[in-house]
Amino acid sequence: MIFAQIFDTINTGLVVLDRQMVVHYWNRWMALHSHIQSSAIVGHNLFDFFPDLNRPHFLRNCKSVLTFGNFCFFSQKLHHYLFPMAPVGSLADHFDHMQQSCAMGPLRNASDEIEMLYLSVQDVTEVVSYQRKLMQLNQTDQLTGVYNRNYMEAHLAKEIERCKRFNHDLSLLMIDVDLFKSINDTYGHPCGDYALKAITQRINSQIRKTDALIRYGGDEFCCILTETSCQAAYKVAEQLRQTIAAPPFTFQGSQFNATISVGVASLDQQDCDLESLLKKADDALYRAKQAGRNTVT
Amino acid sequence: MNALADTLFAGEEKDILQEVMNIAFGQASADLAEVIDIFVILSVPDIQVVRDCDLPDYFRQEISCSGSVHIIEQSFLGKFSGQALLIFPSGAEKDLLKLFNSNNELGQIDIDIDTLEQETLMEVGNILIGACIGKIAELLQDIVTYDPPRLLAQDFSLQQASCAPVAKGSFAISIRTVFRFEQQNVEGYLFLITNQHSITWLKKALHAFLEAYE
Repeated sequence: MIFAQIFDTINTGLVVLDRQMVVHYWNRWMALHSHIQSSAIVGHNLFDFFPDLNRPHFLRNCKSVLTFGNFCFFSQKLHHYLFPMAPVGSLADHFDHMQQSCAMGPLRNASDEIEMLYLSVQDVTEVVSYQRKLMQLNQTDQLTGVYNRNYMEAHLAKEIERCKRFNHDLSLLMIDVDLFKSINDTYGHPCGDYALKAITQRINSQIRKTDALIRYGGDEFCCILTETSCQAAYKVAEQLRQTIAAPPFTFQGSQFNATISVGVASLDQQDCDLESLLKKADDALYRAKQAGRNTVT
Repeated sequence: MNALADTLFAGEEKDILQEVMNIAFGQASADLAEVIDIFVILSVPDIQVVRDCDLPDYFRQEISCSGSVHIIEQSFLGKFSGQALLIFPSGAEKDLLKLFNSNNELGQIDIDIDTLEQETLMEVGNILIGACIGKIAELLQDIVTYDPPRLLAQDFSLQQASCAPVAKGSFAISIRTVFRFEQQNVEGYLFLITNQHSITWLKKALHAFLEAYE
């Protein structure tokens, strides 16, 4: 009696199934979030109500529970959810479905034989939402909204490995805003901030979704161009140079010009790791600066 | 079995323990074939008693992967309690993913490949560990429950390991099996580490097991 009360008030979904996948128990939490009353589903096959669960992966797990008394865990990372339910609370807008972490285990009869299995369902939407926010903060530059160096260091090495394995092209642009200090000194720091934001917006409008723009340092940016040969990368770099050079930028009524210098590097036989690729792009950027700025090399 | 085992188990007990493990792993292999439709070959288990401070050396000696490894850990709790460690060479996750996701059932969801590979490792671990422990428990009339599996170490170099990733205790009974998936050339090691608390029970259970056959 006491357990029945606990099962119906606990903040977890509880389901009991027999070997034929017929529902024997459906607690209040399940009824509340699935909008299927216990009286409607008990005695019926689970797959009549949730046909999407009738797939090899779910069945395999049920079998391992029923055959050797295993416990199975359906992580949110892999499955997002087992039972499609509407997300609840203030985070509902960001998710189509409640994110769930589920577990499954055996239920034995008086002579210890496995007769049924239970499923527990936990709402982890809030945790997932915080995780996503943290991930985003950890990878994004707060001023410009483009990726930060953390992101680059974590992903570029992997991307390089992938390109080498499949023999794909990869190019990298090192971009520096020419005489950025003078923009700050002449128009003030708020204008400098605006310039960085406006420049990244213009660059982003010229590159593909699969490319990544990264704020490498103060006024240095790095652009990863996937599936892009050296020749194509020069074209992109030249395009970026032109799109920044004109038209002029406007901040609080005053117009100013900005230009960028770009160093281009591509993955090849000699430069096939992150370090050497970055050095190559850096060296090219230095030459662009030496050549009088507003230049691509 | 080694010298340290002699001080813990009487001659007859060692034989029963070895026999129980042989039967358990044989049946686990049959169960796995039925549940996951994949034939898993489990080698005859090798049982050693090792002091916990000697475990890192023991692992280095027993595992013949030259490169780095992934270690999946799962605790089991019953009268027979301990930790299961499943060790795959780095890169095996790609073959396992092919094996366990052959109809690309999971690929449709928007998840990056690294997460998919990691989760596959844990799921394979959960099933392999559950099948082996479940059979041992069944033979010895015990019922065990499990913690969720964890990816204890990724791309981990055993050569540099100074401490074993196991709970502190004066010694560990290590049961090692090498398993191989028939369809894919994936090999790994399974170590079941249990402690002295389980031994008293284990000895009783072994005698009970023998009596049932006599």
